[in-house]
Amino acid sequence: MTNDKKKYGVYIHIPFCRQKCFYCDFPSFAGRERFMDEYVSALCTEIVHWGQAVKAGETWGSPATFYIGGGTPSLLDSRQISRLLSAIAEGFGSIDDKEFTVEANPCSLTEEKLRIMKSFGVNRLSIGVQTFDDACLKRIGRLHTASEARNAIKLARQAGICNISADLMYGLPGETLKQLQDDLKEMLSLNPKHISVYGLQLEEGTVLYRQMEMGRLELPSEEETEAMYDLIADSLPAAGYQRYEISNYALQGFESQHNMSYWQDVPYIGLGAGAHSYWQGARYENPADIKGYINRIESENFSWQLEEQLGQKQHMEEFCFLALRTRGGISSSAFRQCFGQEIDDVYANVLQELQSDGLVEVDKEGVRLTSLGMKLGNRVFAEFLLD
Amino acid sequence: MDTKVIRNFSIIAHIDHGKSTIADRLIEYTGTLSKREMSDQVLDNMDLERERGITIKAQTVRLDYKGKDGVEYCLNLIDTPGHVDFTYEVSRSLAACEGALLIVDAAQGVEAQTLANVYMALEHDLEIIPVINKIDLPSADPERVKQEIEDVIGLDSSGAILASAKTGQGIEEILDAIVERIPSPSGEKEKPLQALIFDSYFDSYKGAVAHVRVMDGEIKKGTQLKMMATGKLFEATEIGCFRPAPQALSRLGPGSVGFVCGSLKQVKDVRVGDTITTQEKSAANPLPGYRGVTPMVYCGLYPVDSQDYDNLKDALEKLQLNDAALVFEPETSIALGFGYRCGFLGLLHMDVIQERLEREYNLKLITTAPSVIYHVHKTDGEMVKVDNPSDLPDPTTIQYIEEPYVKATVIVPNDFVGAVMEISQNKRGEFKNMDYLDVNRVMIVYHIPLSEIIYDYFDKLKSSTRGYASLDYELADYQQAKLVKLDILLNGEPVDALSTIVHVDNAASRGRQLAAKLKEIIPQQMFEIPIQAAIGNKIIARENVRAMRKDVLAKCYGGDITRKRKLLEKQKEGKKRMKAVGRVEVPQEAFMAILKIE
Repeated sequence: MTNDKKKYGVYIHIPFCRQKCFYCDFPSFAGRERFMDEYVSALCTEIVHWGQAVKAGETWGSPATFYIGGGTPSLLDSRQISRLLSAIAEGFGSIDDKEFTVEANPCSLTEEKLRIMKSFGVNRLSIGVQTFDDACLKRIGRLHTASEARNAIKLARQAGICNISADLMYGLPGETLKQLQDDLKEMLSLNPKHISVYGLQLEEGTVLYRQMEMGRLELPSEEETEAMYDLIADSLPAAGYQRYEISNYALQGFESQHNMSYWQDVPYIGLGAGAHSYWQGARYENPADIKGYINRIESENFSWQLEEQLGQKQHMEEFCFLALRTRGGISSSAFRQCFGQEIDDVYANVLQELQSDGLVEVDKEGVRLTSLGMKLGNRVFAEFLLD
Repeated sequence: MDTKVIRNFSIIAHIDHGKSTIADRLIEYTGTLSKREMSDQVLDNMDLERERGITIKAQTVRLDYKGKDGVEYCLNLIDTPGHVDFTYEVSRSLAACEGALLIVDAAQGVEAQTLANVYMALEHDLEIIPVINKIDLPSADPERVKQEIEDVIGLDSSGAILASAKTGQGIEEILDAIVERIPSPSGEKEKPLQALIFDSYFDSYKGAVAHVRVMDGEIKKGTQLKMMATGKLFEATEIGCFRPAPQALSRLGPGSVGFVCGSLKQVKDVRVGDTITTQEKSAANPLPGYRGVTPMVYCGLYPVDSQDYDNLKDALEKLQLNDAALVFEPETSIALGFGYRCGFLGLLHMDVIQERLEREYNLKLITTAPSVIYHVHKTDGEMVKVDNPSDLPDPTTIQYIEEPYVKATVIVPNDFVGAVMEISQNKRGEFKNMDYLDVNRVMIVYHIPLSEIIYDYFDKLKSSTRGYASLDYELADYQQAKLVKLDILLNGEPVDALSTIVHVDNAASRGRQLAAKLKEIIPQQMFEIPIQAAIGNKIIARENVRAMRKDVLAKCYGGDITRKRKLLEKQKEGKKRMKAVGRVEVPQEAFMAILKIE
């Protein structure tokens, strides 16, 4: 072991929403606002607890990245935000020079909240824009309008937080290619540093899924959705946003380090209800329900539950399919360093087949997806699961 | 043992009428097993049997019972398979008995299958004791059922025992009736040995084990024995009886039921219906009724992963050790590669084997649609038997084709007569006759192609009679029919394993439906896949599976990698169950699609 402290990230989950988006099946809940205070208290306890635990050891320094996601972190009031951020500062020490992202919903972001964030060292905002079509926003259960999204970006900049990421969705109910073109144009004119792009997926248990089952959902056809995908994959790079990961585009130097750490086998501590952690070769999860989480923290200060201890085989599989999401793909040397063998020793047949299907390119440096491979990512990833 | 204290009996019942639970109560009541040792339905050993609520292999158990006269009796219960696929096995079990309990559900009454088995028991001259079970049910109507037993079967039901396996009512009466009403076996110790094999199983320590009923003579440990039909010679290394675990005995005398094993490596050597005799003093003739195995239904079994070919062979051989009715031989399909053509007694038998291969041997299999045996008469006067549609000779060389017909007996409440007739008519059935069993229930007999029965006749029957219909069938004859081969082409290439033989009148609609069904089943791939149905060179239907456009992982929320991983595992698992036919990945169920069309 070298003397260098090991790199890791911290993720904090805020599971509250004013209304659950119609496509969302993440652990977030509407109508639970009455628990917010209690929740923030529990979260602060967990944060301080973990901060101390990590500082006590030799291995870990301070976190490389912080990310507060949700749910809707911006739904917390100013006082709660300030309690949360001071607990982070208390627990994990200096956060000044680290990438520190907070997710925000356009309609709950205020000048005051932004000022507090800024004062504690938050330097990156991820704003859920999704689309600039108000009717479409309504159809997917978003409570904000396009103009509120534009305004939120403006407010953030005024508060001095200029590293802004915007989420864009496509394949939405009633969406046309023309509409997406407008969305892209508008998005580019707002000039965010980073754009995350998600194709709509229907997940069981969501409002859209139910609408689909009842035959009341009109989605763009497969051909249209594909054209939308192509449009995005072509026009964002043309505007200077490099596709550094399957669903993320950024101007040079503004790639999200926190997100990259998920794909690069970097450990992370996940705090809050439903948060996931990857720590010393094992995956953990916190209880997803708010009350259950609060109870556990109040009684034990700690609520991680072991999800799985990764064996070498699983570790290898995840290492590969996660790395493949990135532009750099699987690095031969990183693989060798991690597992003491060559990628080819394990995946020669898989690579050959995928290469002949035009899904990956393989060279000395490693393995990465072709543009066709990106389009059919799941097919490629599944091949990296070993028998 | 004196034959006077022996009673050999079996139980005849329709599925769900409570055969196994009655058997359990008898075992429990006689103290053969303590309550603690009883697992539900002791005699159905296989998980599959318990799940499906049917008996596949016959089982026997020896019960000790002190009769009212104070004498210790030895009662041998010979459990019989309860499904129409295993009629021959049932007949051998019955041949080993002097009597039978006829169990009829007090609410449901007599069913088609019961009827067939009772007639068989009567043919074997068995003393039949009617037992009306489940009389604790609120809907029980024992008087009506008694009347039905008299009217339908023609049995005197005055001595019928009212019982409930659930509450234990009537169990002692049943035991006493067995002692008092079923005759003791005859048989002489001094005569040459004749022992009937009525079942067999494979034990990994003992080898093939024969269930036997000694008619004359006796078997002692160490006796040199001979199988009369196969000529196989062996030494009786272990003999005994089942209680229900095997218990060693030194001899089995006349009238006894038990097991024999020797250096018998496979159950093929131990044919159900064969007669065991001694080498030294052989019986002049075998016992009557021996019959070779005659499969009725064939299908192809192919490993999804061609590397499993040898494993499939091993597994089939192992199953055959325990199931002499299973026949198989190597077969090659252009689409599926190397596999086996397997013959089964019927659809259930096929299902069971297939499930056991997948479950117990962990094989992923492609099963092709079941086929009957067609008699193809060629213009040159030759007749060939075809059990695989892709083996059908060139149509220009065929003079005519005959297909097997069965006599199908359906029993339903009279409200459903119309439904049964409609289905049977649609399935090319020919109405034979109809009898009122009582005011409510009707027995309808159709002459109908077996191929229609093995498709979805029974499913349709069940669903359109709210589950009330019961079906029994037996092979009747072969009849000429206008049959053609329906081929399927994927990506322009004919897929032999998807060919079926259909009646010319149904060909066009079956072709269209099959193509449409395949379109649903075959997942999108990286290229477009045309699906065509053809008769000869004529394309009669066409569908397209469009190319897969994209398949992208969405947002990876908060580092929840495990969830993404599970999705990928599901995807991979799905792919593993597919077979590459040319460039097209075809899921297992595609090969059975013909069974799924309306």
